Amino acid sequence: MRFWQLFIRSLKETCRDVLALSFVLAFPLLFMLVLGISFGDSSPSYTIGVVDNDGSQVSQGFVDEAISMVPAFEVEMLDDAEDALEALKQGDLSVYIVLPEGFGQQVSYVLQGADGNIELDITYDESDLQVSGQVISTIDTVTRTFAGVEIPVTINANPINIETEVTSVDFIGPGIIIFGLLIMIPTSGRLMLRDKESRFLYRMLTTPARPWEFIAGYSLSMVLIAIIQIVIFMLLGWLFGMDIIGSIWLAFAIFLLTAICSIGIGMVVASLSKSENQGESLSWLFSMPLAILSGVWFSSEFMPSYIRTFADIFPFSHAVDAARTIITRGAGFEAVTGDFFFLCGWAAVVFTIGTLLFARTMRS
Amino acid sequence: MTAEDPRLDREPDDSFAIQTFGLRKQFGELVAVDSINLDIKKGELFAFLGPNGAGKTTTISMLCCLLKPTGGTARIMGYDINREPYRVKEVIGVSPQDTTLSEHLSSRENLNLVGRLHGIDPKKLKTWSQLMLQTMGLADRAKEQVRRFSGGMKRRLNIAMALIHNPDIIFLDEPTLGLDPQARRAVWSYIARLKGEKTILLTTHYMEEADFLADRIGIIDEGKIVALGTALDLKTGMIDTHTMVVQAWNLTQKLIIEMRERYAKIDISNGTMTITDKKIDFREIVDRLHDANVSIRSAYIKEPTLEDVFINITGKELRE
Ligand SMILES: Nc1ncnc2c1ncn2[C@@H]1O[C@H](COP(=O)(O)OP(=O)(O)OP(=O)(O)O)[C@@H](O)[C@H]1O
Ligand SMILES: [Mg+2]
Repeated sequence: MRFWQLFIRSLKETCRDVLALSFVLAFPLLFMLVLGISFGDSSPSYTIGVVDNDGSQVSQGFVDEAISMVPAFEVEMLDDAEDALEALKQGDLSVYIVLPEGFGQQVSYVLQGADGNIELDITYDESDLQVSGQVISTIDTVTRTFAGVEIPVTINANPINIETEVTSVDFIGPGIIIFGLLIMIPTSGRLMLRDKESRFLYRMLTTPARPWEFIAGYSLSMVLIAIIQIVIFMLLGWLFGMDIIGSIWLAFAIFLLTAICSIGIGMVVASLSKSENQGESLSWLFSMPLAILSGVWFSSEFMPSYIRTFADIFPFSHAVDAARTIITRGAGFEAVTGDFFFLCGWAAVVFTIGTLLFARTMRS
Repeated sequence: MTAEDPRLDREPDDSFAIQTFGLRKQFGELVAVDSINLDIKKGELFAFLGPNGAGKTTTISMLCCLLKPTGGTARIMGYDINREPYRVKEVIGVSPQDTTLSEHLSSRENLNLVGRLHGIDPKKLKTWSQLMLQTMGLADRAKEQVRRFSGGMKRRLNIAMALIHNPDIIFLDEPTLGLDPQARRAVWSYIARLKGEKTILLTTHYMEEADFLADRIGIIDEGKIVALGTALDLKTGMIDTHTMVVQAWNLTQKLIIEMRERYAKIDISNGTMTITDKKIDFREIVDRLHDANVSIRSAYIKEPTLEDVFINITGKELRE
């Protein structure tokens, strides 16, 4: 049970260093927030479906000169409301507008000074907070100021609840969580490297503890921290509107396996490095590109296939896929079996390598 | 020592606690430990004396299985350091030259960690660590995290961690470095109590420490053991000159010149004359000074110290 003693020691050492602990816990969150905001807001773009039942010049002008003028809107013309609803459900549209018959006439009346009201039907997914908040009010504004005149307009907003709708939070949420777990690579080796620098590790190496016991001792405390981390991430995701459609436990298991892989890589790096600085620079150097290649922020579908093949050697692209499948599509274990065992195998291999490297470098 | 050294071929002998066979460590071009052959009996307290960079720590690190020898081997309680490192680690306790503790743990937790890693029963460990903390004068701060300790307190805990699991072989690399005289004396008396029971290999820069504690002393310089024996052996065997110190009022230049002709070495400073020669006759010198009308305040024959032995052999001071 020597590994247990080493684990308890690592845990005490980590938890009593309040500053370091809060850093370990808060750092990924901060990182995620900063990156999440910058990536999320850099190009908010919505595809607006338009069904023009009027077919007049005015309605045409409304689409071309008002709606299309909003930089964040991309207009897609559709034949009828049914097609539009289908597209909305598929997630191809953020929202769709139906221009009723007589729309043009109505606008002309109003322009000539007659009383009247312009009616617009807007359908969107109520769970999509960005659309309900931003898009509707934007449409409202551009319609009112259409043709430079204040037009009274009634917007019939039809929020519908689309169960299978993939909101951006649902899509980006799992990626962000995987990213948070990926950057445990630099943090998980920290204690071992500190012990190396202070030479405490060398004193421990004069006891009969075996290499695997050291690795287990250092990693178990990080696994515990990872569990706390995952719970925080999932709670935050839920607060931001990430719905976990599939099994929450299965999602948790995928996240935990991802964390274990990161910790394993952290152990490899820490075994190879001589100092905290060296180890951290080394792990940042490859964890950031790896995060991008693994499709944590952008879908990796747009990347060249050789890059994807390369990224697939590592566990994180598999983890992102599996997590998205479970969270957004509600798939069960059958759908992610391959990824699941890939992660298990990867964890086993990386820990074996870590232990061997530790054993090799512990006696120079 | 060269490869033809006959002692390289000596048989392993289990009455020895530590035996090295041509033990050697090279860092690139630098030979830190140069094929050492050393036998330390069970229950013996052996002290390494040597200037900075002589190879003391490197030797201990190899014996603790922290460094791989680049040549030769050693046996600790019959276990080979290259082939059975974990058996070796079971029987040793180490107090490294650098104080290394788990800073956010209390002194008791540090002791417990080492004890438990050596498989000591927790109940036993509790009484042992209490005793150990009392011995080292740390009992009243047992629960405090050690990062708040003073350097000397950490040092004492560093030693305690080498002893807590009651090992057969104890390596103490400059154990009393940075301790105040009182704490040093307490550690000495504790180590003296272990004499005969435990095999202890210690390194030190304090001559009194080696003189007071060690059964045998090995003087090591540039990776080689250049002298070996009891303190007395070394002092009598290695120093073939004697020294007399005379404090006097009115030393004349003429007398000094006369003395210089008569004796091998005369040093004068602040009215103190130090006379060194192969043969010194106390009476003769006193008479000679009397005849020259010198009034003597004091005169004595100076016993050679280990320091003299050390300087004589290595040509270096122990601490710069
Ligand atoms: N890891 C290392 N890499 C390269 N050279 C080393 C290493 N460790 C020690 N040395 C060299 O080996 C020689 C012996 O060092 P060692 O630490 O054994 O001396 P020491 O006798 O313990 O000295 P001190 O009294 O200063 O503690 C020194 O010249 C040192 O520079
Ligand atoms: Mg040393």
